[in-house]
Amino acid sequence: MTLTAKSKPKAAARQIRKSKFQADLAPAEDTMVRALKAELQLTSNSDFLSDALTLFRWAVSERKRGHRIVSESSSGERKILVFPRLERVAPELDLPRVQMDWSAREIESLLELSQGQPAEPTEALIRAMRR
Amino acid sequence: MAITIRRLEELDGTLGFDCGNEPLNNYLSKHAWINQQKCSIGVTYVAVDETAPRTVLGYFTLATSSIPRDRLPKKHVRGLPPYDLPLILLARLAVDKRFAGHGLGRVLLSEAFGTALRVAGEVGCRCIVADAYRNMVGWYAKFGFIPIEGGADTGPQRMFLDIRTIRAAIGSGSAFD
Repeated sequence: MTLTAKSKPKAAARQIRKSKFQADLAPAEDTMVRALKAELQLTSNSDFLSDALTLFRWAVSERKRGHRIVSESSSGERKILVFPRLERVAPELDLPRVQMDWSAREIESLLELSQGQPAEPTEALIRAMRR
Repeated sequence: MAITIRRLEELDGTLGFDCGNEPLNNYLSKHAWINQQKCSIGVTYVAVDETAPRTVLGYFTLATSSIPRDRLPKKHVRGLPPYDLPLILLARLAVDKRFAGHGLGRVLLSEAFGTALRVAGEVGCRCIVADAYRNMVGWYAKFGFIPIEGGADTGPQRMFLDIRTIRAAIGSGSAFD
């Protein structure tokens, strides 16, 4: 099946230039699209694509803001959506905070190191950061 | 080989991972995912090859931490802002034995530094701290990590790397061309 978003009549096309989207689907994907269209009572590929795009756009914007996308069952069981492509847009800044044990001497040593002049980068570090 | 480094996912194959160190193998296969998704005590990044995208070749785990201000010695407190001292913890880094010796550890470390720089830019961390196994201290030192004094004589050696040193490394790319 070739999924095509058909263009509107010529009069409307004159007003807003619309782009065409065409995709070659594998048989399994074709079946999936047809089943989804039937389930959602969508008659056209354009409407299907438009709804899918809206949902995808929302998912991307949520992950961009660092929000997780969660489904919750009636019994309260939660599942988190992990979709590799979405994770690419997720901020990497949400590193968790952990507690570490420090001896008094370690703290002093760390402060001496962090308050002094930074060490010159080593050759290995420069090479690593150049990749 | 086209290596990708991304966050650990639930379906990643971690059971076959063998870096030759049982605690590091165990961490990846039993705790990394739970710690990341449920307990929020560390984010694990894995290196995978595009041809086998679920097979973990290496990994590292990052978290943030801080030293409470009331534990800082008085002579060092002057001049510091009235907050805890924030830092980034490189908690673990390991490479599967089958892929060791090809520079994957360096690639992982570089990615960890990149993430650390982005985090430091947001929350103002001054340094990265690594808990290095004793036999790996020399490897970390090669990249500029300095041992922190005062830890236990056994177990991992805590090491320090200034974020400014990493920034300088990016800015001096031509020094060893």
